[in-house]
Amino acid sequence: MGSNASIMLQQEDLQNICQQTGFTGKQVQRLYSRFKLLDKRDCGYLTREDLLIIPEVNINPLGERLIDVIMEDYGENNQINFKQFMYLLAKFRQGKIKSSITNYNTRESKLRFLFDMYDRNHDMKIDRTELLDVLKMMVGGNIHEDQIATIADHTIGELDKDGDKSITFEEFCKTLERIDADDKMSMKFLS
Amino acid sequence: MYQNKHSIFLIILLGFIIHKYYCKEQTYEHKPNKPLRFHVAEFNFDHVSDVYAITLWILLGSLAKIGFHLSHRLTEKFPESCLLIILGLIVGGLLYVTHLTEQKAYVLNSDTFFLFLLPPIILEAGYFMPNRPFFDNLGTILLLAIVNTLFNTICIGLTLWGFQFTPLYGGTQFEMLPCLVFAALISAVDPVAVLATFSEIHVNDMLYIVVFGESLLNDAVSVVLYRMFASFANIGQPNIIVMDIVLGCLSFFVVALGGVLIGIIFGVIGCFTTKFTEHTPVLEPLIVLVYAYLAYLTSEMVSVSGILAITFCGMVMKQYVSFNISKKSDATTEYVLKMLSSIMETIIFMFMGLSTVSDSHSWNTGFVFMTILLCLVFRVIGIAIFANIANCWRLLELTRIDMLIMSYGGLRGAIAFALALVLDEAKIARKKEFVTATIAVVFFTVFIQGITIGPLVKLLNVRRKQIEEPTMSAKLTNRMMDHVMTCLEEISGSGGSNSLRDRVRNLDRNYFKRWLLREPPDRKDIKLLQTFKKINTLTAMRVHDTARGLVPSASTATVQQGIPEHHHLRSHSAYGNVSELIAANLPENTVPDLMSYENHEGEHHHNDAEMHHFLDTNLYSARPRAAIHLRNQDETGSSDDGTHARFEKSYHHRDQRYLPTRLERELPHGPKTISKTVHNANRPIALKNLSPKHTRSPPTTHQQPNPRSRSRSIAAHQHSPIPSGQRTKSISKDSRISPLASTHIENEGTGRTAAERSRPWRHLSITEETGASSSKTANIPLANGNDPNLHHIPLTVADFGGTYTKSPEYMGEYATTTKPEEPSSRPDVRDIFNKQSKDVSEQQDDGSTESITRL
Repeated sequence: MGSNASIMLQQEDLQNICQQTGFTGKQVQRLYSRFKLLDKRDCGYLTREDLLIIPEVNINPLGERLIDVIMEDYGENNQINFKQFMYLLAKFRQGKIKSSITNYNTRESKLRFLFDMYDRNHDMKIDRTELLDVLKMMVGGNIHEDQIATIADHTIGELDKDGDKSITFEEFCKTLERIDADDKMSMKFLS
Repeated sequence: MYQNKHSIFLIILLGFIIHKYYCKEQTYEHKPNKPLRFHVAEFNFDHVSDVYAITLWILLGSLAKIGFHLSHRLTEKFPESCLLIILGLIVGGLLYVTHLTEQKAYVLNSDTFFLFLLPPIILEAGYFMPNRPFFDNLGTILLLAIVNTLFNTICIGLTLWGFQFTPLYGGTQFEMLPCLVFAALISAVDPVAVLATFSEIHVNDMLYIVVFGESLLNDAVSVVLYRMFASFANIGQPNIIVMDIVLGCLSFFVVALGGVLIGIIFGVIGCFTTKFTEHTPVLEPLIVLVYAYLAYLTSEMVSVSGILAITFCGMVMKQYVSFNISKKSDATTEYVLKMLSSIMETIIFMFMGLSTVSDSHSWNTGFVFMTILLCLVFRVIGIAIFANIANCWRLLELTRIDMLIMSYGGLRGAIAFALALVLDEAKIARKKEFVTATIAVVFFTVFIQGITIGPLVKLLNVRRKQIEEPTMSAKLTNRMMDHVMTCLEEISGSGGSNSLRDRVRNLDRNYFKRWLLREPPDRKDIKLLQTFKKINTLTAMRVHDTARGLVPSASTATVQQGIPEHHHLRSHSAYGNVSELIAANLPENTVPDLMSYENHEGEHHHNDAEMHHFLDTNLYSARPRAAIHLRNQDETGSSDDGTHARFEKSYHHRDQRYLPTRLERELPHGPKTISKTVHNANRPIALKNLSPKHTRSPPTTHQQPNPRSRSRSIAAHQHSPIPSGQRTKSISKDSRISPLASTHIENEGTGRTAAERSRPWRHLSITEETGASSSKTANIPLANGNDPNLHHIPLTVADFGGTYTKSPEYMGEYATTTKPEEPSSRPDVRDIFNKQSKDVSEQQDDGSTESITRL
């Protein structure tokens, strides 16, 4: 299957992607076959539905939000093609060793991705409503609105240094210094 | 310190005297011609001797531990385990000199060790196992526990045996199989020693869990190897066939998986039992202990790994039981576990020192040194090999320093010692050498490695465990990362540890939680909410502490940023009604944090102190009235417990101190009416019947009421014109007052009185009102104390408020630190408050104690 998929992937494309993202050729081929598998209609791009059909993504409380981010920030017109798909995944390569760091998988870009999960209007600030939205998705259930609101306010209170009732990217990064975001936002790509 | 030492020796001396006396008594009884007479009191040590000795051991251990910790310099330099062993050696020496060692209860025998001393320690370890790091590192742990232990055993055993052909052992012969038996018991890292040492050096979670997890899980391997080689030795080397070895390997899986399975089964049954303990909460802690112990005993019975069983039993129970049982039971369980394990650990180390002093030793210098050397060398080699293998799949790779600490932390301990003691001397001729060598290795690792590992960790700058406060943002982001990575792993089709964890979590939520919990969770993320609640409680506690100047408030500085400050409140006069005023002033995002108010209160401290002094000198002195209150309560209240009584008592102290003046001057716009209208603005509640009573009741106690306090309280209440037509019902009959509303009555009282003297509470009532009216939940009863999860109502300020205003600790503190100044002979006022506060105080009391004990 792997060999089958690689035929359809142009050789120079492959090299290009490898260079930019730091993936090995084998990894790219494996991901390409995965891409093809998801792309049921065989049209060269993935749509929201293609991703939502994955059961784990479907039941994940943040699944839809993640797909929003993927489609809006990485793809275009609610579609994502293979190159864009690779740029997305390149963010989650391990970035521990110096040689494996590319433009994509720096700590900042990983945190940026997390930040974008909240910040959907791209004003570089997480404001109260954005935080509330995410909280509602994650906590869900029949929790009282007021309680979620209190939690949101508390969270903003923790992070907000300049008192503008919203969280900037710098504030966001600062508080996450203690978390191993680098490790947690990385995964092993099979090769 | 010295006193304790003295008392320890005193106890030992006492033991001797009793023993001597007892011996004489026995000989005395045997005299035949002594006529039988009735004795008023009889000395019957025989009847209690064993239990008496055990109890004395426990006492001695506890006193020793207390004594060690009185001297900080001692515990800083030496780990507790070393000190205990030394103490054991001293006591052992004394016993040896006095020939008491023949007595059974004075030496460590392996039955006592495996049946009584070991299980509580392991259960505690399992119950408090940090699940996430454990399962994140499970692969590495298993590799080390199984393969590394096997590697160590075989290498050490064969090398030790190999050296018998050299003159190193001075001509003593060691056979191969006994050497392997010995290697099996000596190569396993000991969980007790690791726990004792690592809990003092605070390395990071990952390192700790890898070493500790290995020490727990290698039990299965060492049990199997030990048993296998021991039975091989029984069979005799020439008679072993291949089948035996194959069966031995097979038995590993049976022992390991059987242990885990038994543990999980008993854990699940335990959780299921706690589903029905709603009406017998006192038994809840017992259930946890009994099921766990049963799991251990059962697996020992069918000779599978008891350590694995009890570990997993604890881990399973922790997941579900704490949701089922009441919070008090939960705290009790945790406390009892900690207590048991700590005392057992103490006794184990003491007994080890004690049992060292005996006749059954045979020192063979060459053998002992070879054993120590080989243990060290193969530990380092094994870790180097297998940690590097583990790094192939590990996301967070183990560094060289990690490996060094891992190999250096490979301490041997009491399990090895106990196993060495049960060796059969008839089959294994060199038992004495083995016992001596085991003791040498244990002492070497516990003393030399245990003492130096702390400085080594500092020297190598190993990442320490960060003791950090939980923050909401961190928790939230952590969770988000989990979710995002799970999705991405699925999308990219790599199926890593994240998706596995997610699958387990879903399974847990959909099935296990549903079966095993009293109330299946209807929220997606309980943990997130729990964190929030914990933070809330912490903040409240901190406010409470800061107010008394115990803790600097720097750490809370971040929290107060997003909070409306009280000078933002609009002018009071523009609003006719307090509730209106508050509604108008209520900012959109009210995060009631009292710190923000507190910081602006600096200038009042001086005033408060001044007034305190004034009140102290000018008011009547206290009359013994606690007894009266308690009796009152006994007559009226049906369900009083100690805390409640205490709460009631201190509650009275306060209200009676200040109420009269206030009511006298401010009626009909007393503070009660205000707070009530705030919450029940649309509900007519009246105090008409109350008012005359009040005006009548207070005798003019305050000849000189503090002008400042009066003016302040008046200022606070002036602008609250309450339509008097609304007040039509008698308060004492009004059963419709919601608990929350009456809470605020209390708070009004406490807030106001407290405000005069200590700072943060004075604004309590305001914040409470803002919070409460914002959430419009005045009619919902306060959280049910037994709710295992969270409040069903939104977390409002009432949750904050409840925590420290009504915390019995605070109450007690308050009641004791400030002298009660005023006589109390107004039964009518008290009665009114009694009735109102009865239910509230009970609930509140309940809730607050629980939230504190949870900490």
